[in-house]
Amino acid sequence: MSKRFAGVLAVDRASFTVAQGSITALIGPNGAGKSTLFNVVTGFERGDGGDVYLDGRSIYGRAPHSLARRGMVRTFQLTKALAVMSVLDNMLLAAPSPGERLGLAAVRPAWRGVERRARARALELLSVFGLAEKADDYAGTLSGGQRKLLELARAEMLEPRLMLLDEPLAGVNRTLGRALLDHIQRLRQDRRVTIVLIEHDIDVVMRHSDAVVVMGDGHVITTGPPDEVRRDPRVIEAYLGKEQASELENDG
Amino acid sequence: MSANDVLAVSFSFLTNVDFWINVGVLATTYGVFALGIQLNVGTTGIFNFGQAGFMAAGSYAMGIMVVRWDVPFWVALLGGIAVAAVAGILVGLPSLRLRADYFAISTLAFSEIVRYVADNWDGLTGGNLGLFGYTDSWNAISVRIDGWLEHLGIAPHFLLPLLVVNLALFLVLAAFVALLVRSPWGRVLNAIREDEDAARALGKNTFLYKLQSLSLSAALAALAGYMLAINISILSPANFDPVLTAYGYVIVILGGLGSYFGVVLGSFFLIFLLESTRYLELPLSDARVAALRFMIVGLVLMALVVFRPQGIFGKREELILRSRG
Repeated sequence: MSKRFAGVLAVDRASFTVAQGSITALIGPNGAGKSTLFNVVTGFERGDGGDVYLDGRSIYGRAPHSLARRGMVRTFQLTKALAVMSVLDNMLLAAPSPGERLGLAAVRPAWRGVERRARARALELLSVFGLAEKADDYAGTLSGGQRKLLELARAEMLEPRLMLLDEPLAGVNRTLGRALLDHIQRLRQDRRVTIVLIEHDIDVVMRHSDAVVVMGDGHVITTGPPDEVRRDPRVIEAYLGKEQASELENDG
Repeated sequence: MSANDVLAVSFSFLTNVDFWINVGVLATTYGVFALGIQLNVGTTGIFNFGQAGFMAAGSYAMGIMVVRWDVPFWVALLGGIAVAAVAGILVGLPSLRLRADYFAISTLAFSEIVRYVADNWDGLTGGNLGLFGYTDSWNAISVRIDGWLEHLGIAPHFLLPLLVVNLALFLVLAAFVALLVRSPWGRVLNAIREDEDAARALGKNTFLYKLQSLSLSAALAALAGYMLAINISILSPANFDPVLTAYGYVIVILGGLGSYFGVVLGSFFLIFLLESTRYLELPLSDARVAALRFMIVGLVLMALVVFRPQGIFGKREELILRSRG
């Protein structure tokens, strides 16, 4: 997949490409424009020029819901777990069903089978994330880390080809975080899902991503494999800061 | 007049059958009206303040078809529902993309526009002199129902046939909407209420769903309009004052946001309260007693919000979770 994007203000003529089946990390200091870029790519915000391509076709300006149906799913920095619905309902929401059409909604037999299968799949997925016992609880009673897991599980219900994860590990403890990352790796391995994640933890970025895109002040500073990027003086200067830069120098 | 005579409440009305029939007819009318508001506010999270306007649109459309264009009654019934549903779509198309409060104002404006048009387009609507003459078909049905009831040993009473029809319709509609909301379609509506962006990110065309919710609510308002139209036999713009929409909201809050069973109970409770307070014998003029009745309803609402904000059938947990975010 290739994505070229240009816009003013928050994102200034940023342009990069994401390879299929890769895990790409989008890093940069706060205010670099990463979330804004996500918003424009996924249709939540209007850009001011440029283009976005998915599998060679332009998707710029398309509505978020149609992009999600095309297999591009995103998560949010502040989790959008639907607090007043059950964990299971959160999952079922993601599964497409003929019962979602008004015309068929009143005709239970038309969607009962699909609902049952979706339920089974949802419970399976929830158990992978260790949330199965919470299935009937309100999502609002989950901890912050659990909500992040729920959001990831929910995104998976859509069987995405491309996942855009906005800080999936923020506020998550180490153990849960490790489980999350293992899961992301498995997604890429078993189902060839392409993943782009906004992440602040350099350790995670170095160890789990195939490619890194560095943004700063709305520009793309550089892109490349993690090893190259970490050594790039521009990146070190703009993002890692002088102290960390010298630390890295000492690590070799 | 001694101090003991200041307030006299005669409870004899409680044994008066006609009182209860009246309560029943009004409660079912407002109940169907409130079903639409519950669908919009309690389930979908859109603040429709134009429900009275949709009620007017449906009722007047039916009345005009029968009285002015000689359309058969049953066709006119369907026609009125269609007009209201289309009105819902036309109102929703420009305004549902607006922020919640602006949407509310737009729907209120629509409601008033309908009322003003009804008031001024005399030729079509009869203006403030009213539109009448659409009840012939109903009268025939009413007589027939009276006959059935007599077979069951029930003496004829004024409006009893209407009560029977209204009650059946109200309960069927309440069950139907409650069932709809329990479907995957309803699940999307609930999600829209909680977080529209989350729903969009999961592939739902939320604008379309909100439009459907509004249109369905308008259709329900039209049905409530028919109940009112037949009850009073003459349509007049004054019948569709926005205060009706306010009553609908009170019923929904009373019964609990999201609960359709709550709408049933809430509508009977509110109408009972409104109608029973007519029997207060106070040393005040009629107009002041009328105002006092509204005050009593207001006080009940205030007490409710303080002591049981979730309403009769609302869930306190949900209230807390929602405020925490």
